[in-house]
Amino acid sequence: MSVHFSKYNEFLELVGSEIDIPPSKYQDAVDRYHAVGHWLQDGDYLGCSRELVISPQGSFRLGTVVRPIRHGIEASYDIDLVCEMPLPKDLTTPRAVKQMVGDRLREHGTYRRLLDPEGRRCWTLEYAEQDGVGFHLDVLPAVPDNDGLQSTAIAITHKSAAMYSWSASDPRGYGTWFDGKNAAAFARVVVEQKRFIQRQASIIYASVDDVPDQLVRTPLQRSVQLMKRNRDLHFNGPKKIDHAPISVIITTLAAHLYQGEPDTHSALTGIVGRLQGHAALVEGREIDPSLATMGLIRRLPNGRWYIGNPVNLAENFADRWHEDDHARARVFFSWVAGLKQDLLNPQPDTDPRMLKENLTRVLGTAAVAKHFDVLVPSAGAVEPRPRIHINSPAKPWRCG
Amino acid sequence: MRVTEDLRKQIVGLSGVHKGLTDVVEHDAETLLSGTLDFEASADGLETITASFEMELSIPQVFPDRLPRAREVGGRIGSDYEHLNPDGTLCLAVPIEQRRVFLEQPTLLGFVDRLLVPYLYGYCFWRKHGYHPFDEAAHGYEGILRHYVDMLNLGGSLQALAVICFLFEHGYRGHHDCPCGSGRIVRACHGPVLRIIHQHHTPETLRGDFLAILGICFAEFEKGRLSFSDPLRNQLIRLLKRFKV
Repeated sequence: MSVHFSKYNEFLELVGSEIDIPPSKYQDAVDRYHAVGHWLQDGDYLGCSRELVISPQGSFRLGTVVRPIRHGIEASYDIDLVCEMPLPKDLTTPRAVKQMVGDRLREHGTYRRLLDPEGRRCWTLEYAEQDGVGFHLDVLPAVPDNDGLQSTAIAITHKSAAMYSWSASDPRGYGTWFDGKNAAAFARVVVEQKRFIQRQASIIYASVDDVPDQLVRTPLQRSVQLMKRNRDLHFNGPKKIDHAPISVIITTLAAHLYQGEPDTHSALTGIVGRLQGHAALVEGREIDPSLATMGLIRRLPNGRWYIGNPVNLAENFADRWHEDDHARARVFFSWVAGLKQDLLNPQPDTDPRMLKENLTRVLGTAAVAKHFDVLVPSAGAVEPRPRIHINSPAKPWRCG
Repeated sequence: MRVTEDLRKQIVGLSGVHKGLTDVVEHDAETLLSGTLDFEASADGLETITASFEMELSIPQVFPDRLPRAREVGGRIGSDYEHLNPDGTLCLAVPIEQRRVFLEQPTLLGFVDRLLVPYLYGYCFWRKHGYHPFDEAAHGYEGILRHYVDMLNLGGSLQALAVICFLFEHGYRGHHDCPCGSGRIVRACHGPVLRIIHQHHTPETLRGDFLAILGICFAEFEKGRLSFSDPLRNQLIRLLKRFKV
């Protein structure tokens, strides 16, 4: 029994597709959010003359969805939707905007049943599990924000205790920025991947042209997915979870640090290596000048941390990293070191059983169980395998 | 008793080749056989695939009149794979096609080597390449109907219904008019294929296929897309009486 490390990239890509949203589920989610969108668009809202706009944001928009793990088991997908009301920000209030959307959702018999109690920023519709996989649709009420830097800027509502306020956001601008970082790799893989997806999901997509761009995954997107999955497992625990790096930090840094590597293993190795190059910042030491000039992770003169939102540099994603004696910064860099150790540097002399245990710990049980035999094809076999030559085989069927 | 003794021998024969399939649990109506199924399989013009699956076979007491149901229990084949039955068992082929392939080597080992391993090979191939090496049958009753249409080169569902009614009512009768409606006798028309299908069927698979094809034709009839001739309608009434308790 030996480990085939030449297949390690194939293994990572298979695990990536395993923790991703499958095409059928994706299509299901798109249908649901279009239905919610139409229902919201058909409502009457005081002061709205034009139609409101519904658009996905976050990992669903960026193609970095990962099936979440809660309490150690795989849970429902989270899908974020922005519901942008065509109302001038200064002529309305965050409370009014949030309530208009909530009221409209409650007018619908089904949505009223699916609706969770009001959240801080969104209304959540909980779709029950179908074939064991459910999802949440988070609807974020918003208005255009003319004070923002770009025309795509919006203001979203924020509820704290019974107080409502606006907070700045720009998911569309961020999406465009991410697409730019991803564009060259996307162009390289799109044709082949769409062909593959169409063949695998021919019931959903009659032709290659029907496969949406949002299902294509570049090495950058796969790297983000694998990092997020590892994050979910690494920080799984009541105390740890508070310090886990947020998805937007992982996504932003990975997109900045991706240098067009052709496959997932080399992309992830490159990204993680360059992240680790920032670790000396924790001790306040200098980092490599090539990284320092990029200025992605910075220590400010007051000792605080800065990771800027690429579409609004005034927004600091790391604004809490100095708290608790820099706890978030410390665990971030120890997580990055662990990623390199556990995920990217498997040793050639590793015992296959140890390797499987290790990978299960860092990527999850189901995904590794399904694809481990790419790395160790003979796992479990002691005797030579029977050889079978297939003649006039039957076609597989499904009775229901 | 005799069946059980025979089944025991068959299990020993199977475990002699597939050495990981060793756990046997006997229940009233079926025997559960489980373990690791390792194989290295090849097919003409296609790559060799080496794989290992955790399997569980439920072998009915009436085997080989009814074939085992197979389940993959290692969590490798997920619900994104289309060829699983609603109860999670593997959907190896439409029933009559399963019998055709099984009867080439009508033992438990034959079931594994000729039906199960090719299915698992097809699954591995699909995972890797995104398409099926051996084509795939349409789902549900449609897959059964298409099988008859393709095997006998028929014009459509009504002809398939006539064929299955013929087999269900008479079995194989060489001197009867061919159910395809050509006007020739069976022997001079679809005889050879009908004889083979007849030999492969069990009463259970024949009833199942009759109900499947009738189900599709009846749905089309209700939508006004086809009509039954008087003789066919009378035949259907005769056959449906067989289902009365």
